Amino acid sequence: MNTVTLTEVGKSFGRTDALADVSLALAPGITGLLGPNGAGKTTMLRIMATALAADRGTVRVLGADPATPSGRTEVRRHLGYVPQETGFPRGFTAFSFIDYMAILKEWSDPTRRHAEVRRVVDLVGLTDVAPKRIAALSGGQRRRVVLAQALLGEPDLLVLDEPTTGLDPAQRGRLRDVLGRAGESATVLISTHQTADVAALCERVVVLDGGRILFDGTVVDLVRQADGRVWLAQERHPAARHAWRTGTGRVRNVGDPPADVDLIEPDLEDAYLLLVGEAGSDPELEAVS
Amino acid sequence: MSATWHVDASVLESYAAGRSTQVGGASVEAHLMECRECSSVLRELMPTEPLDRAWRAIRAHVEEPRAGVVERLLAALGLSSDSARLLAAVPAFRGAWLLGVFTVLVFASAAAVFADDTGLTLFLVIAPLIPVAGVAASFGGDADPAHELVTVTPYSSVRLLLLRTAGVLMTSAPITMLLGLALPGPAWLAVAWLTPAAAGIALTLAVSPHVDTTATAAVFGVVWSCAVLSAYHLGDPVEVVEPLMQLVLAAVALAALAVVVLRSPSLDLLGRNQ
Repeated sequence: MNTVTLTEVGKSFGRTDALADVSLALAPGITGLLGPNGAGKTTMLRIMATALAADRGTVRVLGADPATPSGRTEVRRHLGYVPQETGFPRGFTAFSFIDYMAILKEWSDPTRRHAEVRRVVDLVGLTDVAPKRIAALSGGQRRRVVLAQALLGEPDLLVLDEPTTGLDPAQRGRLRDVLGRAGESATVLISTHQTADVAALCERVVVLDGGRILFDGTVVDLVRQADGRVWLAQERHPAARHAWRTGTGRVRNVGDPPADVDLIEPDLEDAYLLLVGEAGSDPELEAVS
Repeated sequence: MSATWHVDASVLESYAAGRSTQVGGASVEAHLMECRECSSVLRELMPTEPLDRAWRAIRAHVEEPRAGVVERLLAALGLSSDSARLLAAVPAFRGAWLLGVFTVLVFASAAAVFADDTGLTLFLVIAPLIPVAGVAASFGGDADPAHELVTVTPYSSVRLLLLRTAGVLMTSAPITMLLGLALPGPAWLAVAWLTPAAAGIALTLAVSPHVDTTATAAVFGVVWSCAVLSAYHLGDPVEVVEPLMQLVLAAVALAALAVVVLRSPSLDLLGRNQ
């Protein structure tokens, strides 16, 4: 059953179409959202998280219509959100900030609220630093504070905008475990630049570019698009769209191979690079928003 | 190091249950220091509940935020502890801000008491501008660094806005009124500044989706200062808060308030500039 449905949803900022009439339906489970900077990922996530209203089209989230104030409140009662960036009010500790967010999320009984805050603090591995001021925490720890508040009350919908930024591999492993479990019952949408996270966590992947959906399907299907288009050679091949020297000293070429080359198994990153490259945009030049 | 003999199971059980005699308990403890096997047997026997409870209490003591001075003060004024926490996140409730407000007011009032009309002019300029500046600082672009997170919570944005505005007023209004009573001139001067303050606050909030709150507050500050100074040069600074002016300012406040109310359905979304 679909929990989130976007039907021809558009959003413009001035003359720029951040989102150009996109249709997408999500069901419980984990979906990865990939795309270059400025592709419209954050705009799409903000619309699903009820932070922004769509200019065109219809949005249904958990059976409610976020175009109305009451619909937004209804969605927000079952939503966990990690924005791309956030600050924190001064002087708050990790615990008191999550507690403050819990108050705003209508946890009015202090005993139950504190128990819930402790649960999410433990879940993201912040037990040791919970009484510390946020100003004294590392970037990865702050990111986990934001994640912890999103997990309050085991929400039915988790919208996460680059949640793994600043996390070390061990923390990312832990996060995958937490999200994997949340994804068993909740609808989880993760925007990221880490194809490895998508490959490890998501069954489904959506690729967005220039405000349009380029791909929507399983990770396996996306990887298959790069079959026979990745090869190793001594040198960079002129026909390769992307090529880089790997740790073994050989060059990994991604593109349309010439005859008689040493083809290898593609991974999600290869497939993503090919897909976005073919759409005619350069990820480096499109860093707009 | 392991001992060659072990404590009898029934003795350990009664020790774990807290039933051993003083001497018996002491000898079990002496043995436990030496014997890992008996220690691990005891660990299984010990009831975990009291330990868990103690551990939870310790964590609660270390982790749970203790209310700061401002939070305690607000709670003493009858605000729920939750509302007090929501206010504590606002810049206008930081110690430095409160101290600044207090200092400025004391100086303005001292000037008013000792320097007649000039001092009174100073008080009339400053008193309404303090809460306006407080609101500007509390609702400006980066006043709430967690704005995006707060926006998508079910807590009513209108309620939060009103709570924080009321809170800002609470930090300066009572002391301004008290100091106003000490001024030369009619007693109603102590509250005469409330209407211009209300007009300034309502205007700042009304245009906040389009214009940065600090800019609005600054413009209001300049206009208000000019008005007071003109009245002073024309003869009497108190003219600026005479009944007719009060009516005009009240009308401005009401009109701006109406705009805030009309816009309230979209108050819980991110602004265009974000």
